[in-house]
Formats: sequence, structure tokens, C-alpha cells
Amino acid sequence: MERNQANLVQGTLDLLILKAIGDGEFHGLGIARRVEQITRGTFKVRPGSLFPALHRMEEAGWLTSFWGDSENNRRAKYYRRTKAGERQLGVKAEQWTTISRAIASALKAN
Amino acid sequence: MRVGSHPRFALRTLLRKQQVETELDAEIRGYVDAITDEKIASGLPPSEARRQALAESGGLEPVKQAVRDQRASTTVESVLQDVRYGLRQMRHNPAFACTAVITLALGIGATSAIFSAVYALLIRPLPYTDSDRLMEISAAMPKKNQYGGTLISPDFVALRSSLKSFESIAGFTQLGDTNLTGSGDPIRVKVAGITANFLPVLRVDPAKGRDFLSSEDRPGGPAVVLLSHRLWESKFHGDASIIGRSITLGGKAWTVAGVLPAHFIFPDFAIEPDLCIPADLSPDTSIGPQIVFMMRAIGRLRENVSLEQAQTELNLFTEIRFKSYPAFYRAYVEGSQNLAEPLHRFLTGDDRRPLLILLACVGAVLLIACVNVANLQLARSVAREHEMALRGALGAGRIRLIRQSLVESLTLATLGAVLGMGIAAATTWLIRRGGMPGEFSSGSNIAGMLQVPFGKMSAAVEVNGWVLAFTAGLALLTTVLFGLAPAIGASRTNLQTALQGAARRISSGRQQRRFRRVLLMAEIGLAVLLLTGAGLLIRSFINVLGNDSGFDPRQCLTAQMLRNYTEAREKTRGFVKQLLPRLQALPGVQAAAIASDLPLEDIGPNTAIVPGNGPLPPIEQRTTSCAIIVSPDYFRAAGTRLLRGRLLNDEDKADSAPVAVVNQAFARQFFNGDAIGRQFRTNFGEMKPDAFTRRTVVGVVQDVRYNGLEGTLEPALYLPFDQVPEIEMNVLLRTAVEPGTLASALRKAVIDVDPDLPLFDVETMNERISQSVAQRRLMMLLIASFAVLAMILAGVGVYGVFAYWVNQRRPEMGIRLALGSSRRELLRLIMAQAMRLILIGGIAGIAGAWFLDRLLANMLVGVKLHDPVSLSLAWALMTLVALPGSILPAAVAARTDVISVLHSE
Repeated sequence: MERNQANLVQGTLDLLILKAIGDGEFHGLGIARRVEQITRGTFKVRPGSLFPALHRMEEAGWLTSFWGDSENNRRAKYYRRTKAGERQLGVKAEQWTTISRAIASALKAN
Repeated sequence: MRVGSHPRFALRTLLRKQQVETELDAEIRGYVDAITDEKIASGLPPSEARRQALAESGGLEPVKQAVRDQRASTTVESVLQDVRYGLRQMRHNPAFACTAVITLALGIGATSAIFSAVYALLIRPLPYTDSDRLMEISAAMPKKNQYGGTLISPDFVALRSSLKSFESIAGFTQLGDTNLTGSGDPIRVKVAGITANFLPVLRVDPAKGRDFLSSEDRPGGPAVVLLSHRLWESKFHGDASIIGRSITLGGKAWTVAGVLPAHFIFPDFAIEPDLCIPADLSPDTSIGPQIVFMMRAIGRLRENVSLEQAQTELNLFTEIRFKSYPAFYRAYVEGSQNLAEPLHRFLTGDDRRPLLILLACVGAVLLIACVNVANLQLARSVAREHEMALRGALGAGRIRLIRQSLVESLTLATLGAVLGMGIAAATTWLIRRGGMPGEFSSGSNIAGMLQVPFGKMSAAVEVNGWVLAFTAGLALLTTVLFGLAPAIGASRTNLQTALQGAARRISSGRQQRRFRRVLLMAEIGLAVLLLTGAGLLIRSFINVLGNDSGFDPRQCLTAQMLRNYTEAREKTRGFVKQLLPRLQALPGVQAAAIASDLPLEDIGPNTAIVPGNGPLPPIEQRTTSCAIIVSPDYFRAAGTRLLRGRLLNDEDKADSAPVAVVNQAFARQFFNGDAIGRQFRTNFGEMKPDAFTRRTVVGVVQDVRYNGLEGTLEPALYLPFDQVPEIEMNVLLRTAVEPGTLASALRKAVIDVDPDLPLFDVETMNERISQSVAQRRLMMLLIASFAVLAMILAGVGVYGVFAYWVNQRRPEMGIRLALGSSRRELLRLIMAQAMRLILIGGIAGIAGAWFLDRLLANMLVGVKLHDPVSLSLAWALMTLVALPGSILPAAVAARTDVISVLHSE
């Protein structure tokens, strides 16, 4: 997981977080778990990357946050995707698809 | 601010910092708590669960810092943080902060002040429209004489009509002084003759009234005059109705045509006429016995013509013109040529070198200040290595560390610059005040101002936008100079070694140590260099003052008067006959006399001298001398000693045998030293060049300095006033009391005899001496104070470095002592180090001085370049100041307490 961490380029992390949140509301740990889950355990997002990304995306207006109670009755900060975040997901996803196709075809080429 | 981030967040982060921080803490803490809860649920004991949770998430603080680092507000805030941190560091270490800030303030302040002067005098364009097109056309004579630079009027007239490179060529001539009477108290005024196109060439219009018409500028033209704004305000109370009315100048009526603008500055830094009249030049260009004026020519270069082209044309003109000269004049001007150069350069040429030298000196002081602060910073950066390493270990990036050092330096430099600005403002105020015109009391109010070291342009020396920009630039530059090296050095620290306790007390790396030493040697070298310059100037100054002046400046009051040109000789004689007994009778006066020229005044040859009885030689072969007209008691009043023969006396009347007293140089040149009873012929005071009077030498007096204390001793002769009455007369009173106290009695005595005669420049002889050396004294004082400043700063630098060095090596000292080294040996060890630095720095400074002292060459009097006394004194002085700087720390080191040092390890 450490190795993958290094390869997790910034744009990709944003994409994964936006995707992981979907239309739901999650706190930091919830998002980290979701990312791990939807990537089938390939990516484990550590807090040192996760929280800066969350705050950055909130400043960019892709996420909004609010304080709520967690399942263990602790106060936790929850994140929700905004309209702008949704658009951003579209853009990022398309970029990613293009890049991954290009790389895949490059690798298949002789 | 990062692109795409929302300003709202940046503001929120900056303004509601506390809340943002609390929320961040709660969020991250919540995350770790949640993981801990899970681990407890899976059966781990709480403390182990907590530990693992923290380890997995990488610690609370680093995560929080990572979030902070990418916030939009981070850059702004962290710089503010650095500034705050820097200020806090200064508070913690006020000695360092004060030393650094004051050092920088002195360096920056002095540099800005001198730059203000350089800007006002050398850089700022002249106050005329398109002044860069204005060129001075001057005559460069191989034999430098008193008319150096000026053209004779026939040449000027020929030149202005033939040169095509210039749109127009204007001229002016100094017509000396005359008396303005009939409008309140009589005053003396300085008059310039200007050509009708003078103001148009400068693109200046009169403020009131009109300019001269070209039809008025001709021989025998109407008597019209342009008043300076200053004269108009002070004498005519700014009354516009004066235009068209007439005023009395030298006993003649002149019509006021107009008033010059308030801020008009005459294009000559040495004169500022009170009024201008038409030059009235004759169109005749031939060289003959007619009256010629010494003209200064200013041409406005055509748009598409270069200075080189103009010079080429001028050379061609000069060549042709030369051929048209009569033989005697051709011999006289042999080898001369005419030069065109930018007016600004012509006017500031004399001030350029001294000012640039001052700027260089003050720059050296600034450099030393920077080196000092850099050294302090370096020393501190090593002391703070541990702190830096700790901050690095806690996650501060290298760039962040460098930036923090730079911000600290910048904070210091800014404080220094602000304080320095104050110093500069105060200094320029002093320079300006020195250059302010005084009251319009004695006629030529401007005279005092022209005598300040850098002339009337001193009034424009001020702190302005350019100076501010210069200072800001200096602050930035010093930051880079003294901040960058320590910053990079500090950031390079190896975290591990620095954090290990053992490494902490070992002195700084070899590279850094060598760098600091080089800085220190450079400092010492620069200080020695400046001290040498100061030494040379001080010795020259002492030599100048020690020059035998040929008169006694103590207890002597002087003043100037001028009779009207038109006055009959008999009337002039009558005036003096009435005045002298009154002056003699004033209480406290021992001797009263008049003289056409005072000692130290600028004079030049004014008579041809033909010794012997042979036929008159042709004009070009006649030798010249300077004649000074004096009343009998002159020598007693001036304190000039008689060497042989007799002085002039009351028996030397108008109708008695023509006699003369001469100086030693005259006796040597014309009579091989044996002059008493010998005869010569002089044409002084005659209207025709070939009308000579035969005179007998009755006495020889000691040589008197004219043209300042540095003037060469030229042949001079003294003629009795009764035999050759002169309208220009200076009063000399030898007094038994403090001479200044007689000033008002002197004024009253003159008014009693002639209420229309202005008395001006009432000054003691000592004041005249002081004025004549004003620029030399200013240069000497400035350079000497810069040198002393440099020396002290260098001494402080030595102390700082050695104190630090000793402190760093305490463990080593302790070990050496423990191993049996004696304290004396320790002392010697440190002193040897210090001596090596001082020696090498001193040698570097002496070598520099050896090459650079030629810059001062033309300011030296009685001292040769590479003067061994100045060089060795400079080095000795620097050593004397630097040695205690190293001895003090060495003594501390020698007292090192072995046990405590070894304990602390």
C-alpha cells in the first residue's frame, strides 16, 4: 500500500474521493474506507494525503462539509459532493479514461 | 494564493484562525479516535490501540501541518509567521538585533545620504527643458589661466554665426558687481551680461514682463535689465509695477524689462547673478585692442546632430579661425582648442570625482556593515543549527528553512533601512541648510550659498523617490548579501549529526569557518583602505592649513566695497581720505587699511611688467604680474611682514615719485632677488596697452597666498592707492579685540561717509580661511568619519567572530587544559589566529590602498601617493582596534573552567 501511495497522483486521488463520496455523506475515515473498498483494496489512503485533499477540494468548492455525530456517537466532520464537484468528477473521469486507454494501447503496442 | 481556491476560505483561515485550528484538530483527532475504537473493539488494550492508531496515521501534528501547508492562506500566513518569529528571535537576543540593525542603519543611512547628493548633483537632469541637448562650448587652453573655459567675445561672435550643428548658441559673461541704489538701502548686486537668445536657448520665459529683444542686444543698445526673482522679492517686494520703471545701477538709470522665474537657476554653479543685462556684443570678430568679454557659450544641439558631429564642425571652425588671428594672439593661444560637451558634464565635472569617491567610501562602509551582519548571522546560524535541525525533523522543508532565514534577514534589513532613511533625511537636511541662501542683507545673498562645498545645487539635495528606491534596493541587496549564505548553510545541516548531542558542541564546518574568515579579512582590508584615504586627506588638510599664508588671520576683520565705475578718481580719493581716519579711530582698531584684493581671493595677472630701460617688447613677449592697490597701513593690518626696504607710507602721494612694494616671488623673477631701488615699467590702470609708468621698488614683503591656501605663489606688486586709485576696495581692520564685535561699528562708519555705498561680506579673516577650505574640509571629515565607522564596525566584527569561535571551542579548550596545556598557551593560540587574520586583512587593505590612492591624487597637498606614514598608521590603528576584539574572547577562553566544561559534555 505504501508503494501505491507514491503513485497516487494528485488528480487521481481527487477522482477517487469524488467517486467514493458519490451522493452520500462521509467523514474522513469513511471516505478512506470507501476508496479502499471501491478499488478492491488497491489504494489505502493515509490521513496525511486524505485530509489535505479534502480541505483543498472544499476550498475549491467541490465538497461541502458539516459537523455531525458518527456511528460511535463522536462528533465528526462530514463531507458531501457539490454540483461543482459532480462536474469535476465528470471532467476527471473523462481525462482518466483517455489517459488509461492511451497507456493501455501503448503497452500493447509492439 | 493558489489558483482555483476560494478567497472566502483564505479569509476565513486568516481571520478566524482559532476556530479553523480547533476544527482541524477535532477532525483529525476524531479520525484517530475512530481507528482506536476499532482496535479496542478487536481486542487490543486501549494504550496499544492508541499507539497503533497514531503510528498508522502518521501522527496528529504532521497531518495537521500537511493540511495547513496546502491552504490558500498558507503562503501569506507563514511569511507573517516567519516575520513574527524573526521579531521574537530579535527580542530574545536584543544584543544581536541592536548591533545588526544599527550597523545596517548606519551603512544604509550614510549611503543614502551620499546618494542623495550624487543624485541631485550628478544624475538629475539640469532644470531646463530638454537639457540633454544643451552643450557648453569652451576653450581648452594649454596654459591654464584664470579664464579657463571661456571664449573671448570675437571668437564667440564668429562661432555662433558659423556653427550649423546648433539650433542656436547663447552666451553670457560675468560683469562683476555694481551698486543698486535709490531703492531703500544701497546693496551690491552681481551682474551678468546675456545674449538676447540666452533664455530662449534654455527654454525659459520671464515670470513677469518680457525678455530682451534682439534689437536691444547691440553695442550702445538701451539700458534694460532682467531682475532675478530673488532680488525682485527682497528688494522690490514682489511688486509687478516695477516692470517698465527704472532703477539706479552704478549711478545710471536702467529700465526693468522683466523678472526671471522663481526657480530659475543660472547655468553656472559658481555664479548666480542678481540681475542680467544685454551682453551688447560688437559684431566685429577681429582680434585687436578693442574691449573683449570672456564669454561662456551654451548651444542647443539640433535634433538630428550628434555631439561628435558638432565637435568635428567645431574643430574645423577652430582651425580656420586660428589662421585669421594676428601673430601675437596666435602665439598666445598656441595649442588651444575648442570643446563641445554636455552642459551638465561641464558644470558638474569638478564635483563628479569627489562625490563618486565619497559614494565608493560609503559603499565600502555599507559592505562592511553587511559583512558584519552576515558574520553575526553565520555565527548565529551555527548556534541555531540544533534548532534548525529540530525544525527539520518536525517536518519543515528545506525551502521553508531558507525562506525563514531570508525573512529574518529581510526583517532586519527593513528595520535598518527605515532607521537609515531617518539618518539620510537628517543628513540631507544638514546639507540643504548649509546650502540655503541667507537673508538678503549684504547684497549678494547668494554668495554664502555658492561657497558651500557643493555650491548652489546643494539646495536640491533631498530624500526623494529615487533615493527611496535606492534605499529599498540597498535593503534588498543587503538581505541577499548577508542573508543568503547563512540561510543556505543552515538548511544544509545534516539532521542526524546536528541532533546528536555530541556533534552539537563541535564548532562549525571547515567551509563555513573559512568563509567567515574571508569575510572578516575583507572587512579589515576595507577599513584599512578607508583609513589610508582618510590619513592622506587629513595630512593634506594639515599641510594646507600649515601653508605659510603670508598674513595673520587672527584679529582681522574684513569687508568689501565697490565705488561706481563712473566715479571721478578725485572723488574716490576723497572718500578714502575721509573713511580711513574714522576707521582708525574706532575703539579696538590697531590698523585700518583698504586693498583692491584680499589675501586668498581669486586674482590673476592684471598688468604687464617690463623691467629695465630697453624698448617695449611686442605684446606676446611681455611678462605679467598681479598688481594690488593698497593704502599705506595695509601691511600692518594684514600682518604681512616687510623683509627689505620700506613699506608704503603717507608720503607716497599722487604727485610724488611712483613707487611699488613687491613680494619675494616678484623680486626673484624680475631682479634675481635684489629688488630694492630697481625700476620696472607697468601699464596697470592705463587705458592703452602701451602706456607704461616707470616705478621704483622701495620694499620687499613676504609672499601672500592668493587663490586660496593652496594657490601657488605668483609674483605680485603693491601700489599706493593715492597714485592709482581703484574703485574696488576691501577694508581690513587689525583689532585688539574680538574682530567680529567691530562689524556694526564698521558699517556705521561707512554709512556716515557715504550713505549710498553698500558694505558687504563682512567677515573675519579666519572665516575666509575656513570658507576657502570648505570643500576640502567636508571631504576630509566625511571620509575620515566613514573610515572611523568602518574601523569600529570591523573591530566589532572581529569581536563577534572570535567571541563566537571561542564559545564554540570551549569543549576543546577544556580538553586541552585537562591534557596539561597552560592557559597562556591557549591565549597564544587564539591570539595567533587573530593576528593572522588582522595581518592578512591589513596587507590586503594596504595593497588595495596602494592601487586606489591615486583617486585622491589631485586632493593631496604635501603628501605623496603611497604615503608610508598614512599606510602604516592606518594598519596600526586597525590592529589596535581589532586586537582587543580578539583578546577579550581569548581572555574568556583562558579562564575556561575545565571541570564545568567537561561536565557539560
